Amino acid sequence: MTPVVHVEGLRAVTGSRTLVDGVSFALAAGQVVALVGASGSGKTTTGLALLGEHAPGVSVSGRVTVTGRIGFVPQQPSAALNPVRRLGGVFREIAALHPGDDDVLIATALRRARVPVELLRRYPHELSGGQQQRVVLAQALVGDPAVLVADEPTTGQDPITRAEVVDELASVVAQGVALVLLTHDLDVVRAVADEVVVLRSGRVVEAGPTADVLDRPRTAYTAALVAAQPRVTVPAERPAAAPRLETRSVTARHRATTVLHDVDVRVGAGECLAVVGRSGSGKTTLARCVAGLHAGFAGEVLLDGRPLPRSLRRRSRAELAAVQYVFQDARASFDAYRTVLDQVSRTAVRLGGAADPRAEALARLAAVGLDEATVTRRPAGLSGGELQRAALVRALLARPDVLVCDEITSGLDTLTQASLLDQLAALTCTVVLISHDLAVVARLADRVAVLHRGRVVEHGPAGEVLGSPTHPVTVGLLGRSMEGTEERKA
Amino acid sequence: MSPRRYAARRLALGLVQVLAVVTVVFLLVQALPGDAAVALAGDNPDPRRIEQIRVTMGLDRPPLERFGEWVLGLARGDFGVSLISGRPVVEFLHDGLGPTLVLAALALVLLVPLSVVLGVLAALREGGPVDRVVTTVTVGLHSIPEFALAVVLIAVFGVQLRWLPPTAVGADLLGQPAVLVLPLVVLVARPLCSISRLVRAGMIDALASDHVRHARRLGIGVTRIRFAHALPNALAPAVQQVARTTDWLLGGVIVVEAVFVVPGLGTILVDAVAGRDLPVVQGLAVVFAVTTVVVNLVADLLAFRLAPRSVAIA
Repeated sequence: MTPVVHVEGLRAVTGSRTLVDGVSFALAAGQVVALVGASGSGKTTTGLALLGEHAPGVSVSGRVTVTGRIGFVPQQPSAALNPVRRLGGVFREIAALHPGDDDVLIATALRRARVPVELLRRYPHELSGGQQQRVVLAQALVGDPAVLVADEPTTGQDPITRAEVVDELASVVAQGVALVLLTHDLDVVRAVADEVVVLRSGRVVEAGPTADVLDRPRTAYTAALVAAQPRVTVPAERPAAAPRLETRSVTARHRATTVLHDVDVRVGAGECLAVVGRSGSGKTTLARCVAGLHAGFAGEVLLDGRPLPRSLRRRSRAELAAVQYVFQDARASFDAYRTVLDQVSRTAVRLGGAADPRAEALARLAAVGLDEATVTRRPAGLSGGELQRAALVRALLARPDVLVCDEITSGLDTLTQASLLDQLAALTCTVVLISHDLAVVARLADRVAVLHRGRVVEHGPAGEVLGSPTHPVTVGLLGRSMEGTEERKA
Repeated sequence: MSPRRYAARRLALGLVQVLAVVTVVFLLVQALPGDAAVALAGDNPDPRRIEQIRVTMGLDRPPLERFGEWVLGLARGDFGVSLISGRPVVEFLHDGLGPTLVLAALALVLLVPLSVVLGVLAALREGGPVDRVVTTVTVGLHSIPEFALAVVLIAVFGVQLRWLPPTAVGADLLGQPAVLVLPLVVLVARPLCSISRLVRAGMIDALASDHVRHARRLGIGVTRIRFAHALPNALAPAVQQVARTTDWLLGGVIVVEAVFVVPGLGTILVDAVAGRDLPVVQGLAVVFAVTTVVVNLVADLLAFRLAPRSVAIA
């Protein structure tokens, strides 16, 4: 079969740094090639080169041949859709760029991406995450492209949405479109890709059919990537400790909507409680109630048997130090205009009562692999993974009894994620882990609470909940995250 | 919440706000030293004469009674009569509203397109000479107060060069448009700066956003991306500023009216306060409060359209 995409000797250089060095691959219609690797491996630069784009200051050389049109499916569809425009108007603008009747073009693209026509009247914020993903896919499909480039299409999605995205991509490929998948999610790669190209620092370290590369990796780097992919393994039982943190019939509202109904959860000293559920199930609101960031709730949050004031403002300094929060978006949780070290050591000053906060902060940061040269930069000079580690250190400097971690691994590549999970596993304080990724949960949690539409539908020791789930949502979340571990679908 | 229900709720709330404003204005005028009788009696008045005037005006009755009577009248659409001249308050409002409306409408017609064009131009040439010139001029102009600008413009164009009439004394505003030029320049100058700065900042953000990059990748043309994708996102903050400016203009910009001798609402308000002419002051307060409520409602509905997400959450 003649390839529709042919890349040979692609190089991208910025200043003295080589981003991509000699990447070559070919792809035929109806085939899927996955470019995998950790952040900074050159996946995105290669993907952009296929579109004929490059970041400012980057010079690209080598040969890229694409037969037919190329479409792009962006990462984070919520950001890629214009919040002010109804979907229909944008679709008509796109269709006008292609030969043929606009209505027919739009209808075909919507059908292929399985987007209901009614959605055209809506604004992007009125769609679910899965629907937004399908809409950007449909936009890329207008005018029948020969090739699609999909950039991290599953990053940050809950397992059920992730499985939907995989299904959509597979069905588009079945219609004869070639797909270039840029991802660090090896479960998705196994599910859809025919070939894998493993990139590291811009070089191809390994390439070949998916099963060969992932099941029999020839290089240590690929082996590390495969090993870092989280797996659900049912954890062993631990004896229950005395409760340190407890919520009693917590009912929380956002304006008129009740987002949590009578939530009772309990976690002992030194244990890790995982709160799991789909996006929108109320996980984050529960975490915010515990941390004092969402004061509008009824019920009680008890720390060592004593109720905590609902609002952050009414908590004493000791109570503030006792409960610390690490946010999902590490970059947004830092001030962009002060150095990371400044901001991290500030907790040690205010809450930790350290004699030499700067030295203590530096030591703790060094322990997670962040040297002084790195942390004296502003946040813009650090990667997402580095910032998340700094955010973790910042919280730990307060010497908390309870650490709340809200989806802190969801935006990270698997290698970075694995090292962060190791650090969490080594903690001695009580951890409340908010996640929709049951593989992460299984790795860390002693106890699991499953939330669905604001209600606790399962709560118990991790081994019990994950080993013999009873509620359909738990089964759904579990089933989807284990799907990738099976042999590739025929 | 649908925009329609939102508007209905806001209008109901607006009614309460108007009543509150009127009450506060009544109390404040009561708190001023002296009353209409003192103002009418002239210099060195005889206390007995003041008392006489008070009785004929009905000012000797308790304030609560007078206020209640006035509010009841308002409910029937009756604004009452001036204490000083005995003319119906509606006539005052009618006289003042004309010039103020003409000035405000013309100022807005100039202001909105000009500031959007300037802001977009500066944003598209970010960091270039055009951007720098626009930025320097707007920041500079913004720091000159209205009265100073007005006096300088009158001195240069009205007195020295004699290109334009220095004031609008006795002129028919629409019949002699030349008298409007200088007041309009003064009215537009400062809002033009703040609004064009907001459009520029919003436009720069929007042009760098993920959704604009995505639209480019979909092959949508440059002009369309600038004006149909980026600009609507950039306008949301500017709309709020335009609303504030509209409020300010419809309130009769007292300084500008005074300098150019335009007989608008601002001039009437100053005269009425000086004469302690309570019914006129209150009538104006009602007009200003209603304008503010309506203008801000329109701005919020526009913002609903321009940033559907933020309002949906709020």
